[in-house]
Amino acid sequence: MKKQIYLDYNATVPLLKEVKESLIDCMNVGPLNASSIHYYGRKGKDIIDIARTNISKLINTNKNNIIFTGSATEAINLLFSNFETIVVSSVEHFAVLSSSKSDHIIPVNQDGVVDLSYLELYLKKLVKNNKKILVSVMWVNNETGIIQPIEHVVEIAKKFGCLVHCDAAQALGKIKINLEEIELDFLTLSGHKIGAPTGIGALIYNDNIDLTPQILGGGQEKGMRAGTENILGIRGFGEAAKFIINSTEKNCSKVKSLRDYFQEKIKTSSPETIFFGEKANKVANTILMALPKIPGDLALMKLDLESFSVSSGSACSSGKVSKSHVVSAMGYDNLASNSVRFSFPPNDAILNLENLITRKELDRLAQCWSNLQAK
Amino acid sequence: MININQIIKEMDLEGDPSNHRVVVAMSGGVDSSVTAALLVEAGYEVVGLTMQLYDYGKALQKKGACCAGSDINDARLVSSKLGIPHYVLNYESIFQDQVMNDFADSYLRGETPIPCVRCNQTVKFTDMYDRAKNLGASAMATGHYIRRKTKKGYLSLYTGVDPSKDQSYFLFATTMKQLDFVRFPLGSLTKDETRSVAKRHDLNVANKPDSQDICFVPEGKYAEVVRKLRPGSVEPGNIIDVNGNVLGKHNGIIDFTIGQRKGIGIGGRKGVDDNNSILYVIALDTKKNNVIVGPKEFLSCKKIKISDCNWLIDLVNEKEFEVLVKLRNSSQPVIGTIKVNFDNSLVYLTFDEPQFGVSTGQAAVFYNIKDSSHILGGGWITEAPNKSADIKFYNA
Repeated sequence: MKKQIYLDYNATVPLLKEVKESLIDCMNVGPLNASSIHYYGRKGKDIIDIARTNISKLINTNKNNIIFTGSATEAINLLFSNFETIVVSSVEHFAVLSSSKSDHIIPVNQDGVVDLSYLELYLKKLVKNNKKILVSVMWVNNETGIIQPIEHVVEIAKKFGCLVHCDAAQALGKIKINLEEIELDFLTLSGHKIGAPTGIGALIYNDNIDLTPQILGGGQEKGMRAGTENILGIRGFGEAAKFIINSTEKNCSKVKSLRDYFQEKIKTSSPETIFFGEKANKVANTILMALPKIPGDLALMKLDLESFSVSSGSACSSGKVSKSHVVSAMGYDNLASNSVRFSFPPNDAILNLENLITRKELDRLAQCWSNLQAK
Repeated sequence: MININQIIKEMDLEGDPSNHRVVVAMSGGVDSSVTAALLVEAGYEVVGLTMQLYDYGKALQKKGACCAGSDINDARLVSSKLGIPHYVLNYESIFQDQVMNDFADSYLRGETPIPCVRCNQTVKFTDMYDRAKNLGASAMATGHYIRRKTKKGYLSLYTGVDPSKDQSYFLFATTMKQLDFVRFPLGSLTKDETRSVAKRHDLNVANKPDSQDICFVPEGKYAEVVRKLRPGSVEPGNIIDVNGNVLGKHNGIIDFTIGQRKGIGIGGRKGVDDNNSILYVIALDTKKNNVIVGPKEFLSCKKIKISDCNWLIDLVNEKEFEVLVKLRNSSQPVIGTIKVNFDNSLVYLTFDEPQFGVSTGQAAVFYNIKDSSHILGGGWITEAPNKSADIKFYNA
């Protein structure tokens, strides 16, 4: 098999070595049902507690406000089931768009940034008839990497007495999240976006607000999410959080320089390439781009056959690629079927671990991108 | 026994198989799965493509069903087993525009359409064909039971070796340009041989039953699909006999097809002798929304008009000749004489013996009178006048 070059870190980050070791450790402890009152049950509770502490440190919040779920999507569904009126941005992930069932949609500008004045006017009108409104805006967009002005969103929402949720699945590990500095009511996270296994997410909530659970049963997670705790997932999530806290590489400058190198290469070799949200405030690892004449799924297939793993639009679990609602929302409807996402490791610490992506390989990738247009 | 060298020879690609990328159109059925398996065995670089044509969950009105259904997953599992890359092509909107809408409109015109031919023509051999070319493939292979032959630089199409599986009726519209690129590695195999290859490769689809229905029509209930696609355009009307007597009511002419005998919904009639008591649908009057029934003799049809013809032979010198013609996939070919118009697109065909139950919207596929396995071409039946044409009130 040819060496695979992975540039789809926004989809998932490979399991970190430290995480893998912690999981084996955990498996060696014994039978771990954290609800049991005996020795092993206590061990299980300890493991969960440590993970909770690590995650709370990473985002600077109270560890008691973390509910572990099976995914960020589940955390969002749990939260949204408590609200009838949810205001969302047009570029949210489907986890938010579908589960909110919302028709209160705030547009974004051509740079992909949520329109704050629209939000303000919209909330002004909406609060007249509604009491309990949840505003849900993502911190970082999964396709473009654009950082939303979440502080301003919170400011505006609070002005109208709304609660605010932020989907931070793509922000964690890429930018600093400090919940002490921002008045968010809810935050949702995904473990596998920072090198934990898949199947673990979390809802961080403001405990002044009563929520009703969706999954009932044995009362785990303070009754908010029944079902025997996913100890391995939780341990892995906590360990990945610890890895980021402890890493000496605190920034993303190496990731950025690699990404910028690639972008410059593309600009030279394929000047007709369109970059989405280039001017906006972005995380360091993501590029979303398109060739006007090449469908995104064709680009993805050809690059895959050249052993580059990238992604396109939004793929259904069946593998069917649909056009990107994010690109459409930014006003490029004609290019919504053409966009291709390249996502590098989320931060320098993870980049250093992988040591997989070389400039030489990026040169070859830029060449392949250019060749897509060859007849 | 399957001879891989024979398959390589029939692939008609120069040089070593490993130098060629071949795209296989994989439906998730046993035939296309075995096509991929044989080409992998032969040493080609195989890439599997599966078309997502419609929302499976919606079509079956089943909550919780994935948009893709289980067939795409079967294709994926087979690809994984064979160690080949596999991709899904989202052709939902193209399929809706070009196949499903045409299917519904055709029924509303009183015809009996064949969406599988439209799909081969428009989606599979146009869009997927383009995609295969764009992926740098030397050829695109499908799991159809039909043979492609090259003789002295000329391409021609022949029926599949297994007469019970021959799919030539559905592929008459393949153009020469398409034929240049498309391959049918199963053409020389019997279905049993195909299944044995699937078993040998331990493919999950080895015992999967053959698909019987039109893919987007669950349980053959085509009329329900038409009603869903064209809400409000299907109206009830009368069932009348050749003398204009109303025998009953119907819920929409789309529920009927020319030549239909069973399930018309009119009970036994008093004072009618036995020979004439069996009634067939002989005409669908779309203007007055009537279903006209009559004895079998009214179905008798001598001459038909065939449009949008595609030819797989050179017609330079021949404008009038005898052929074998198939009027439905399941029927035996019959003898007729065709007369081709100036640009070869239109044909009038006169049967040696009158035919019964010929329906517009179906295809007429021509075979060589001297070699019934050789496909000459075909077209769409646009006029098939039977004796109902003589009924005065109908034509008034």
